[in-house]
Amino acid sequence: MSGPAASDIAAGEVLLSIENVSLSFGGVRAIRDVSFDIKKGEVRAIIGPNGAGKTSMLNVINGFYQPQQGRITFKGKTRSKMQPHDAARGGIARTFQNVALFKGMSALDNIMAGRTLKMRRGLLWQILRVGPALNEEVAHRHRVEEIIDFLEIQAIRKVPVARLPYGLQKRVELGRALAMEPDLLLLDEPMAGMNLEEKEDMSRFIVDVNDHFGTTVALIEHDMGVVMDLSDRVVVLDHGVKIADGTPDEVKKNQDVIDAYLGVAH
Amino acid sequence: MVAFGQFLEIIISGLLAGVLYSLVALGFVLIFKASGVFNFAQGAMVLLAGLALVRSLDFLAAKGFPMWTAIVLGLLFAAVIMAITAWLVERFVLGPLINQDGLTLFMSTIGITFMIEGGAQFIFGSDVYPLRLFPTDAWFLFEKAFDGGILVNKLDVWGGMIAAVLVAGLAVFFQRTKTGRALRAVADDHAAAQSVGIPLNWIWFIVWLVAGLVALVAATVWGTKLGVQFSITFLALKALPVLIIGGFTSVPGAIVGGLIIGAGEKLAEAYLGPSIGGGIEYWFAYVLALLVLLVRPQGLFGERIIERI
Amino acid sequence: MASSMRAPADTFPKLLLHNARSFGARPAMRHKDLGIWQTWTWAQVRDQILGLAAGLHRLGLKRGETVAIVGANRPKLYWSVAAVQALGGIPVPVYADAVADELAYVLAHAEVRFAAVEDQEQVDKILSISDRLPKLEKMIYDETRGLRDYDHANLHDIGAVIADGRKALTEDSNFAALIDAEIAAGKGSDTSIILYTSGTTGQSKGVVLSAERCIAASLDTVAFDSLTERDEALAYLPLAWVGDHYLNYAQGMVSGFCMACPENADTAMADLREIGPTFFFAPPRTFEQMLTRLMIRMEDASFVKRKLFHYFIGVARQYGEPILNNQPVPFTGRLLYWLGNILVYAPLKNVLGLSNVRIAYTAGEAIGPDLFSFYRSLGLNLKQLYGQTEAFLYLTAQPDGQIFSDTVGPALPNVDLRIADNGEVLFKSPGMFVSYFKDEAKTRETMTADGFVKTGDAGFFDSKTGHLKIIDRAKDVGKLKDGTLFPPKYIENKLKFYPNIREAVAYGDDRGFVAVMINIDLTAVGSWAERNNVVYGSYQELAGHPLVYDMLQKNIEETNRSLAEDKVTAGAQVKRFLILHKELDADDGEVTRTQKVRRGFVAERYAPLINALYDGSTEAGISTEVTFEDGRKGTMSARVKIRDVATVPAAPTIGRAA
Repeated sequence: MSGPAASDIAAGEVLLSIENVSLSFGGVRAIRDVSFDIKKGEVRAIIGPNGAGKTSMLNVINGFYQPQQGRITFKGKTRSKMQPHDAARGGIARTFQNVALFKGMSALDNIMAGRTLKMRRGLLWQILRVGPALNEEVAHRHRVEEIIDFLEIQAIRKVPVARLPYGLQKRVELGRALAMEPDLLLLDEPMAGMNLEEKEDMSRFIVDVNDHFGTTVALIEHDMGVVMDLSDRVVVLDHGVKIADGTPDEVKKNQDVIDAYLGVAH
Repeated sequence: MVAFGQFLEIIISGLLAGVLYSLVALGFVLIFKASGVFNFAQGAMVLLAGLALVRSLDFLAAKGFPMWTAIVLGLLFAAVIMAITAWLVERFVLGPLINQDGLTLFMSTIGITFMIEGGAQFIFGSDVYPLRLFPTDAWFLFEKAFDGGILVNKLDVWGGMIAAVLVAGLAVFFQRTKTGRALRAVADDHAAAQSVGIPLNWIWFIVWLVAGLVALVAATVWGTKLGVQFSITFLALKALPVLIIGGFTSVPGAIVGGLIIGAGEKLAEAYLGPSIGGGIEYWFAYVLALLVLLVRPQGLFGERIIERI
Repeated sequence: MASSMRAPADTFPKLLLHNARSFGARPAMRHKDLGIWQTWTWAQVRDQILGLAAGLHRLGLKRGETVAIVGANRPKLYWSVAAVQALGGIPVPVYADAVADELAYVLAHAEVRFAAVEDQEQVDKILSISDRLPKLEKMIYDETRGLRDYDHANLHDIGAVIADGRKALTEDSNFAALIDAEIAAGKGSDTSIILYTSGTTGQSKGVVLSAERCIAASLDTVAFDSLTERDEALAYLPLAWVGDHYLNYAQGMVSGFCMACPENADTAMADLREIGPTFFFAPPRTFEQMLTRLMIRMEDASFVKRKLFHYFIGVARQYGEPILNNQPVPFTGRLLYWLGNILVYAPLKNVLGLSNVRIAYTAGEAIGPDLFSFYRSLGLNLKQLYGQTEAFLYLTAQPDGQIFSDTVGPALPNVDLRIADNGEVLFKSPGMFVSYFKDEAKTRETMTADGFVKTGDAGFFDSKTGHLKIIDRAKDVGKLKDGTLFPPKYIENKLKFYPNIREAVAYGDDRGFVAVMINIDLTAVGSWAERNNVVYGSYQELAGHPLVYDMLQKNIEETNRSLAEDKVTAGAQVKRFLILHKELDADDGEVTRTQKVRRGFVAERYAPLINALYDGSTEAGISTEVTFEDGRKGTMSARVKIRDVATVPAAPTIGRAA
């Protein structure tokens, strides 16, 4: 049950809409009355100085946090409470700032885990592993191999991810998210800790995912160069409040944004 | 030849007894592996399962049901009881406590223990109920080779076979099935598992259900051995050294640990008892576990514990 | 110079048809794609190549035209080579990692009208230099990824070209006959391929090879090593290198063996394990890296495993080579070796992927004697060969039973070798080249009056074995100021035998003494650093570390002792050295694509350091321009330390040390 098909929504129309969302933990107000939308097929960057509430925003979209106020509408359906696995079921995939991979598994198995929701056959079929279940397993493996090919990680497919360098771990995590064939891909600082070459590779992958698969991407990123190059629209948060929303050029010139990054109090 | 025959007898009975310990330990391993919770209530679950089974058997037998039908229905009934327990635990205890630390969760299982023990005895009664599912007499093997033959308890043998089937079934479940793989994923990283669409609540329910069914199997064997009674809950204490030696997160570890303790106990009692004094059986397992903790804290098969920050 | 064997055909396309007829069901080519190995039989390969040839014909390729082949080892690119040859065209392979400038030079010089490339990266590269390639009209590509939105007026997917060709062949029998006629029209004297040599001096030269000579040479070596259609090889070295074209393509066509292409460069070693070839070639560097990786992993193994390993390697050192050479060995020796095989050697070879290798060759530079005997002692039939592009590779090769670590073997059957007065090696062989493309002058320069080719290498025939020994590039053998012989390559090779030393460049010609610049091997030294708690943040830091200098100083002193043993070389001992702050890199033009040092260029670029070596300074500053992998440039500076080394007086010639 994945809700209305994303194909019902035309490219360019609103896929996800955040309306007046507020989130607090204890005394901390992480997000204050923020509203913005994400259109289908675009690359939306969420930026802001540290502590602005960006990761919290992603966690709200993803279902890890429940906002105290506000509405979230995804693919036309409004939802109040949502668990992360429901978000996944609905077509939202996510990567984490600190890389949340299954440490005990290989790169291939991690990406296969992303196919979990797509696996249909029941318990008994799976144990016997014949006929339709086997065909299904082969089909899933084929899709996963295509992703491995796309991300150029053939050489490490059997390596336990705990042994991989950070940059490759991030790539495997991206692969797992892609395996879910999501409508919306949430990337939390995908370039963090990467050198120039790795950043260029990652940028290339994100662009290809958006171009060829038509996946809508929302990403949190600190590298301004990347943000300006990759994104169609940008929303800027500071201390939990939205201070700008528009194309990269518009946002770059916005005085509030400049002040926020320079640390001017307001 | 007599000494060797005696040795064989002791070691066989020890190994088989060890397998029975493993049966209880398996329940702990399952829950710890999947959710990082040390389930203090596992012993109580064995009691609950045993009581549900034996009382329903008595009930059905009294109503005139033929033995085999009664057994099947009784097992089903007990399984349903365990399923309900699993659901209740997940819904009202684990679910709300989802992000708490290990100690809090452990304390909550202590609470669950008392509730299950109290509830079970309240509903099903607090007497000692004998269970007659397996033959309890003995075989005498190799009577020609050894004087008087080697005494092997049939119940122990049944226990061994059942444990073998159970372990094989669990292995298949974990490796081959989607649910089994999901369980491993949840055990590895909660956030990641949820992000790929694995529903944590459902998984935890499954885990407790499977642990409950394992408790039921343990109950059938131990209940026959000791009779279904409150003291069965103390089996949990015996399972602890098994877990320490075998590793808290390993199914094969639970088996190997159980075998080591079972055989070790009996051998120590037989050969060291006369010199040190009797009662070795009671403390041998714990001393052995202590030694293992000093040398290899994660157990023989366990994974190195890495603190997640 | 005809071979004594009769070939079933005089061009490669005709050989292909012959193979498809004789054993069409046998595997001809493999490729790992999307995680699984795909296989094509000779019959299937023939169909693909005929289809591609037909498609290329329809795209307008004409007889005699050159076609660039740019990419790694992939079936469709090998098929392109054959398809172009089928139509009488001339394939011109180019190194896949060539930068735009190199590519532009070769493609313009060869006047290519078509190009068959691997993927988007190559397409982009060629498009970026298209203004320098007026003759280039069409490109065909293998990997479709990223190319979907490109303008396909003159860009085609090889798969689509093949499909189009096959359709045309089945629908139009006249067309099919036309293609057959084109193949039949091929002659032995036709140019079969032009291979551009990576010039260590000056620009690359296009070596023109004819079909009949290629096939003649291949026949000889196939017979020499008894290769049949049941053998398997892994094609992982650059497609544009003569060795790959010879060892895999030519020998494959002639013998019918099966060639496997790895998934990509990173997976090559893993794919080697999976394929388990029967024939293997690797430059000494690769064998060295395999050993280094093995030794590092051994350091981490359990105590028991380490002890077992070291003990049985000792056994292998004692008995391994004699057993392999069929020499008498005591029974206990054989027993221990047999045990060692089960416990250590066979598993080792398995991990390296070399379990099924019947014949292994190495060439290209001198191989350390320890390294050489290590592999032989494990039971791997490793041998050396020597040759060059102008000979279509093989000039000499060691036959089974005559294997020595410091020779390259006797001349192959039908190869004539001669040593000129100045020590240069000259040859005439079945596979010798026809000419340098569009360079009559250079061609004449390289040939002697009586038709022998000058190799440019200095060497001599060893009196004991009759084998050829190569000293150095002929023009590189120099003299110190006092007239002492200075063979830089010889010295550098000795130094490079140490696992810590990756590269060495020696100077001394017209100088007072020999001085050396060294690159450390990051894998080996890095691992040493880890084990000895030496902290470093970058290559540069490690390269400048005093403890590393100490280690290398010992290595050089040992080398000096070895040089002192021979009267000829005793005067060329190393007196001073320094460790370079960065690795010599092909992208910076400091080494060629085959990792051979460009001496002249390096001397210019590092002049401040070389001056410091000779003026007695103990340290010097250097600032160099570097090129990153994407072509952008930057600068790197460092202060490099220089040290003196002890030398040894020449040893009196009492007896040869073992």
